[in-house]
Amino acid sequence: MGELSKDKIEKGIEVFKNQKDSKLRAHINSCVHCGLCAESCTYYLAMPDAKFVPAYKVDLVASVYRRYCTLTGKVFPGLVGARKLDDATIEEMVDLLFGACTMCGRCSTHCSIGLDISFLVRTGRKMLTNMGYEPAALQTSVNTALETGNNMGISDTDFIETIEWLQEDLQMEVNDDQAKIPLNEKGKEILYTLNPREPKFFPLSISAMAKIFYAANESWTISTKMYDITNYAYYTGNQDESKIIVKRLYDEMENLEAKKCVLAECGHGSRAFRWEGPNVIEKAYPFEVLTSVELIAQYIRDGRIKLDPEKIQELVTIHDPCNLVRSGGIVQEQRFIMENAVKNFTEMTPHGIENYCCGGGGGQLAMSEYNERRMKIGKLKADQIIKTGAKIVASPCHNCIDQLAHLNSTYKLGIQAKTIAEIVADALVLE
Amino acid sequence: MTWYYWLAAASLLINVVILLIHIFRLTTSGKPTDFSKQRGKLTPAIAFAFSGAMSPTRKESAFLHLPTYIAGIFYHLGTFTAIFLFFFNLAQISVNESFSRFIAGFLMISAVSGIGIILKRLFVNRLRALSNPDDYISNILVTLFQIFSVFILFDDAWFSAYYIVVSLLLLYIPVGKLKHAVYFFAARYHLGYFYGWRDVWPPKKF
Repeated sequence: MGELSKDKIEKGIEVFKNQKDSKLRAHINSCVHCGLCAESCTYYLAMPDAKFVPAYKVDLVASVYRRYCTLTGKVFPGLVGARKLDDATIEEMVDLLFGACTMCGRCSTHCSIGLDISFLVRTGRKMLTNMGYEPAALQTSVNTALETGNNMGISDTDFIETIEWLQEDLQMEVNDDQAKIPLNEKGKEILYTLNPREPKFFPLSISAMAKIFYAANESWTISTKMYDITNYAYYTGNQDESKIIVKRLYDEMENLEAKKCVLAECGHGSRAFRWEGPNVIEKAYPFEVLTSVELIAQYIRDGRIKLDPEKIQELVTIHDPCNLVRSGGIVQEQRFIMENAVKNFTEMTPHGIENYCCGGGGGQLAMSEYNERRMKIGKLKADQIIKTGAKIVASPCHNCIDQLAHLNSTYKLGIQAKTIAEIVADALVLE
Repeated sequence: MTWYYWLAAASLLINVVILLIHIFRLTTSGKPTDFSKQRGKLTPAIAFAFSGAMSPTRKESAFLHLPTYIAGIFYHLGTFTAIFLFFFNLAQISVNESFSRFIAGFLMISAVSGIGIILKRLFVNRLRALSNPDDYISNILVTLFQIFSVFILFDDAWFSAYYIVVSLLLLYIPVGKLKHAVYFFAARYHLGYFYGWRDVWPPKKF
């Protein structure tokens, strides 16, 4: 068994120290190994192996905590299952904490004790990243974001060109030469962010949101310097890198003097900036942050946009992104929007905060080494979709959309995966 | 007073002191702080974490495992009953015969539940893979505590063995997973806080 250097171990167990509150201490000491969380995990449901039980993953982290941070674990490690940080432990931790958990949090809501399991898994990821064991592919996304300003490495020229042709398209579609996709304009009501997948692969979702902003007569802009809402450092657990990414958007909000930061349809990005971001930079935002889903729902309520549900006749269902819904509380808004935007809507079972992860969360889409598992756990979502009979699956998350597209081709679902904005744009009535 | 009475009393004292240290460390680790803008309400969410979220109508770990859930409920209630009985014994308060029979019946059900939980851990692969010696020791000590609590209700001759088991249990609680008796409340509080802050709990009807 390969031993790790003392320095490396110190770096690893550092995550257990300097906690700002009692959350970690409470959760890491609470698991009773009842194993009743098994059936709440998509990995265990797809591959019923003991190592996929959430409690097993938690114990990987807790056993290291016991070994280095508790008297019993130091004196009687065998008695309490306290594990030494060595190559074998590291290998298993990387495989299970990065490769067998999307941090969807479903197990947390069903845990018999009430452990925040995804928080503990993320603590384990932080530990591994501190020691330099983060998966290279995931770290590449972070590095690209740090080096180029967006995780896809899109150059400014390419981005501006994309926006310019989208603007021309918008002008033609709404038949108005004054319709704009404003870039870098100061003092606007809204700074709108994007998932870099949009300019790279799904430009029509930018058009869709631009059309909605146009219909609502909104004062908005996009920054060419910092439009990327994603933050893969949230998934690696590297706080310093996460902080740099959060701070960039924070600074751009101040630079452009926007009043509201509207987050594109990206589950983890929304979570990383809205909920985790202020804690990472350790200060409250002086501006409002809301998701585009909340904004669109507000437009409909306020009568700022009008929709004709007759325009979309196909049966539509919603896939709830875990980070946005179970960890972000955005549950009713997308349903309210669907009520107004489509004629036929149906729910998956289960849905809302009980939803199953599609398999694309936790950085899984960025880690090709776990593709086979990702597609296996996605079968659960594919089966849910098939049962609804829906032809369109709406999801306010580009990562989920990507995974749904993969599921669509693998399991021959015959569906269209669309963002909420795309559906609303299709149902828009322009006056 | 016998030596085993004093042994149990001393063990209780040690137990309380160590658990108080755990509580002290927990409470001095700091209250939850969150710089993000609060979206929901904390009090109803924390209340939900301790009530609705634990009910078998909502919690998969309960409704998908009803026999284990029910056994677990009996087992915990039996443990609390045995603890109360221990305090009665320490205070030398006697329990009348009909009440003794009632308690004994209840403790027997809970002890059988405890044995069932041990057997499940032994024979279900995924549970065995999760378990370490502490899981078995904790389970066995608590079950023995309940069984001996029944014995002493009907025969004083068991008191020495009872107090030794109680002492072992009390000294072991702070060592292993049984200390979840303290941490459980903090974990649920934090979970309620987390979901309440973000307006996830209590769940809304839609």
